[in-house]
Amino acid sequence: MKNTRLSSADHHATAGEADAVAPQGRTSGPGRLLITVYGIFALAATARAAFQIATQFNEAPVAYLLSAFAAVVYIVATVSLARRGQRWARIAAIAICVELLGVLVVGSLSLFDAAAFPKATVWSIYGQGYGFVPLILPILGLWWLYKHRTTAP
Amino acid sequence: MTIDGWFIAGMIVGLLSTIICVGAAVLKKKPNDVTLLAVAAVELFVIVYLVASIVRVASGEHIVGQTWEFWSYLATAACLPIAGFYWALMERSYWSNYVLGAVGVTVFVMMARMAQIWYGSGALAYGLPQGIGS
Repeated sequence: MKNTRLSSADHHATAGEADAVAPQGRTSGPGRLLITVYGIFALAATARAAFQIATQFNEAPVAYLLSAFAAVVYIVATVSLARRGQRWARIAAIAICVELLGVLVVGSLSLFDAAAFPKATVWSIYGQGYGFVPLILPILGLWWLYKHRTTAP
Repeated sequence: MTIDGWFIAGMIVGLLSTIICVGAAVLKKKPNDVTLLAVAAVELFVIVYLVASIVRVASGEHIVGQTWEFWSYLATAACLPIAGFYWALMERSYWSNYVLGAVGVTVFVMMARMAQIWYGSGALAYGLPQGIGS
């Protein structure tokens, strides 16, 4: 093995074949960009939910509670993606599955049953208001987690 | 939404910063003085906009939308370049330049939202009726 310097103290377990130029860990390289985008969405969804609930909650409580739920999902996904270790990877996978389910269910409902969703959420029409990034992001996230899956020791 | 000089300036600084950082990332450069200065320029712009907004409000201009929403957007925008700087420099690979590139475009989008709140027009992304909170 070329990585003789990889000591037991190195908790960066998946970086076995990594070199300085192209880091390979779950939270390294492209992973950092993914976490960044999740962080921005956590911020945007939280801001949106806070504004909606603070100013016009009575207009569409279900849609706005859904906005708040989306914000929580994005926050959990961001934090768990940024943490190392298998348990956090599992939490990230669950959060991102919930996110994917949310964008598909809410997206479809807002399309076919517009009356049930009179007010927009982050996930309305599959995230159209955000350039469909909410639809692409969980797919990228799950692919990234799958690529960096670790087998049980 | 009303497009004013602040929005145009924010758009130029933000998008230019993103273009520089993404360009450097595509060339597989690690974060260097050029990309860090590009992000610093965004921070400088937000601080100038923050000071100018305080002066404008103090001298009698009126924010049409929710004032607390405007100031929390501005405070968040001021933190973004710093957060991006830290997050990118914890690991110096060319991917960090993509992270830095995310700062400018995000501040640009937030500038658009802040212009909407200031002039009270549009709020399209939120599906609000016109002039809400005015």
